[in-house]
Amino acid sequence: MDERLLPRGRRRAPFGRFLLWLLPWTALLAVGLYAAYLCLALGLNQTNMDNRFAFGLWIYLDLTVIALGAGAFFTGFLLYVMKKRALSAVVNSAVVIGFICYSGAVSILAIDVGQPLRAWFTFWHPNVHSMLTEVTFCLTCYLTVLAIEYLPLVLRNRQLKRRPSMLLFEFELHKVMAVFALVGTFLSFFHQGSLGGLYGVLQGRPFAYRESLAAWPSTFFLFILSAAAVGPSFVLATTWIVQKVSGRTLVKQEVFDLLARVSGSLLLVYVLAKSVDTLVWINHTSFALGVHPASYYAFAPFGTWALFAEIVLLGLVPALLLALPRTRRNPRVLVPAAFLACAGVATNRFVMTVQTLALPTLAFDRFLSYAPSWQETASFLAVVAYGVILYSISFRYLNLFPQERELAAAPEA
Amino acid sequence: MEAVDKPGGARYGMVIDLDTCGGCGACAVACAVENNVPPAAERTTERNGISWMRVQRLEAEGDARAAFIPVMCQHCGVKTPCVSVCPQNAVGVDPASGIVAQIPVRCLGCRYCMAACPYHARSFNWWDPDWPGRIVETLNPEVSTRTRGVVEKCTFCSHRLQAAQDAQAAKGGEAKAPEYTPACVEACPAGAIVFGNLDDPESEAARLAKAPGSFRLLERLGTGAKVYYHTTRDWVRRLADGRAAGDGRTHG
Amino acid sequence: MFPWSPEFKWDAYHVAFFGALYSVLATVAGTLAFAAWRAWRDARAGRAAAIAWHGDFEEMPRSARPCRHQLTGEAPERTCENGFDCRHCSAHGHFLALRQAAGAVEPAGHFGFDLPLDRLYHRGHTWVRPEPDGTLTVGLDDMARRLVGRPERVELPAPGDRLLVNGPAGRLRTRGREVRVLSPVDGKLLGVSGAGAAFTLRVDPGATADLRHLLSGDEVRAWGLRELERLQRALGSSALGTALADGGELVEDLGSVLPGDRYDAVLGDMLLEP
Repeated sequence: MDERLLPRGRRRAPFGRFLLWLLPWTALLAVGLYAAYLCLALGLNQTNMDNRFAFGLWIYLDLTVIALGAGAFFTGFLLYVMKKRALSAVVNSAVVIGFICYSGAVSILAIDVGQPLRAWFTFWHPNVHSMLTEVTFCLTCYLTVLAIEYLPLVLRNRQLKRRPSMLLFEFELHKVMAVFALVGTFLSFFHQGSLGGLYGVLQGRPFAYRESLAAWPSTFFLFILSAAAVGPSFVLATTWIVQKVSGRTLVKQEVFDLLARVSGSLLLVYVLAKSVDTLVWINHTSFALGVHPASYYAFAPFGTWALFAEIVLLGLVPALLLALPRTRRNPRVLVPAAFLACAGVATNRFVMTVQTLALPTLAFDRFLSYAPSWQETASFLAVVAYGVILYSISFRYLNLFPQERELAAAPEA
Repeated sequence: MEAVDKPGGARYGMVIDLDTCGGCGACAVACAVENNVPPAAERTTERNGISWMRVQRLEAEGDARAAFIPVMCQHCGVKTPCVSVCPQNAVGVDPASGIVAQIPVRCLGCRYCMAACPYHARSFNWWDPDWPGRIVETLNPEVSTRTRGVVEKCTFCSHRLQAAQDAQAAKGGEAKAPEYTPACVEACPAGAIVFGNLDDPESEAARLAKAPGSFRLLERLGTGAKVYYHTTRDWVRRLADGRAAGDGRTHG
Repeated sequence: MFPWSPEFKWDAYHVAFFGALYSVLATVAGTLAFAAWRAWRDARAGRAAAIAWHGDFEEMPRSARPCRHQLTGEAPERTCENGFDCRHCSAHGHFLALRQAAGAVEPAGHFGFDLPLDRLYHRGHTWVRPEPDGTLTVGLDDMARRLVGRPERVELPAPGDRLLVNGPAGRLRTRGREVRVLSPVDGKLLGVSGAGAAFTLRVDPGATADLRHLLSGDEVRAWGLRELERLQRALGSSALGTALADGGELVEDLGSVLPGDRYDAVLGDMLLEP
């Protein structure tokens, strides 16, 4: 029924089956939108956040998806600036996923703040010393850049490119895409870092506070590094998922290899930097604030195993598996390693958001726990559903994987 | 908010005597009434209700003794964690009084300041404030109410300072920091809270702040808080501050 | 954000922050505007057709773009990088000069479809026949006609329209699938005749007709064979009624024996609209 919109030469499910696939995600989206509506209409008491856990599931997941969405800028950087041509096979998909991650995060932020209609106040009365101001500006600019990078994909749709205005605009836009890739890299550098800086500057939270290098706490640089390192792994992981769900091969093995290589080497650098930072933190920074680092891990379930898991099990291990050719060559190891790397970054973001707030600061404070309400979970799942729907539509009607046709005709040995 | 040095500026501060405080909570109630804190909604708990001032019980396990410590915004001076992190400049230190002032109409409700504050002095409006029926007549006209979704905290009753300044200006007096009394100070039946200009060597607050046995919470963070606590009892000091008086790492 | 907001005071942090912000905004907006302006200029200069063809050509796999001189064996491993527009290709002139005057040209023969040699051929499966009165007649070749079958809709340019080499010369809709026809010549359309896929266009090429990019003589046979190979590959392993050198005949209406999306792909592959 929608054949005229389908890219030529690609096998796509019949329209009815496609609608059937979208149905459960649409239902999930509807439930989540209702949960978001409740939060907007009745107030944030619909969540389980409170005065001590001012940030909860949403902020944690926002930080995680933004870190994972770094695959968009980094793939663009590697392709357009470092000229790694093989990545043209996944850059379109990476841009769509990046767009989904960032637009989803911004949507969640719109319900997370108490007065969403005052969002423009940050632009009118900016506090340039605050990391959150920097994040706000950067995210807004970057989402615009992502939309501009998404546009050519849409304009190249079979029916749209018949219109000369769309065709010509896409053609000229594509010629200057390197500019947007560079701007995207610049913006990503700053907002990934500032998200780390959000926590690193909190002197009142010795668990999160870090020493500064130049104007920024070390978490600024660690967040950038971890985001850049995990970006390619997330692109790899999502491509693998799409291949499994669609039942077809979409990229050549060399692309996976390149993504894994970049991710692995960067992860190794990150693990080294993180280890150094951790040593400084437990031997110097904490004591300077009058806290013994053992107290951070004195409360179940956040024992020292959490630190070990984050840096070694979900950091060093996937880094080695991805970086070493022997393990990288085996897809049964490669793909789980990529997922592990993503889990490592998710753990790091979790620890920085939730554990920071759970730990007591005053002598007479208690360790607190928090579990999200169904409204919080449902709202976030709505974002996931939105992502799946948008990606499915993009996959169906746009040329997300340039190698798809070639591989369908002549599959790799 | 940019600081403009005003002649006759002050640094208002507080000294709370933990040896006198009986934990009655009159200060907390008076604060809530004075500052139009809305009545708690149905599902409110101690963690999501609004309390600009809260009285915490200090007790050690296995020990029958207990003490009480009222905690509110400590009005940090040297390093203000909340001011530096607010993306909208909705918090600022008033240079004329040292009061850390909140602008509720500018607050976006991002709660970053709440994460930053080590004293957990800030409350968020998780509900729409509602004064049902005739309760609305108890509102204090000198203090603006806040909407849902914004952060609020102790202001050292700055509206009373404003009134005192207005009275002083009306009398045509010299620009000197006026004396005034916040609601909690007024309400305490034991007189445990002393309030005044810490920069005025004659004021009782300044004298008590420097007295032996006076300390500030989380001194090590160097926030320059203007709320001091005083106790002669070591065990109270240890429970409040995590270290005994003689530890030598704190600054009087 | 705006330095004229109340309470604003310049300091080093503000300079750095707003400097960066405004630079980013200016770069993004400026680049976007630049691209839009260039696109508008392209439209005014009538470059849309050329750019569209350029885009399509780039998307075709290398195996679909052998140089005509590779087809004839003159240049073993040569892929066209010029959009099949030999008029502006320096190598083409070079190869022509090297070509000896051949002996009698073999008839194009039967590959399962007809390629009469009284006309010139364009890589997009159209033929061009120069007429005695100086005009050109253009039509779809036999392979294209068998591919397209009986189209539901044929959109052709109107008399008076300008045609450009490798620009669009019409769209066909057959079995719900669409494909555009490439124009093999430059010129002004004088008239249209014929029905369905058997349409012909009458074109006035202007002062002189430059037909160097069209295939003739020996090249036609080589190209025909190669196209059949390409079609076989596009159809997949099942021959579906086509046979090569054993004298079989290409099915009259390929759409009738192919599943929909397969047919769509084949149409695009053979008529050079990927």
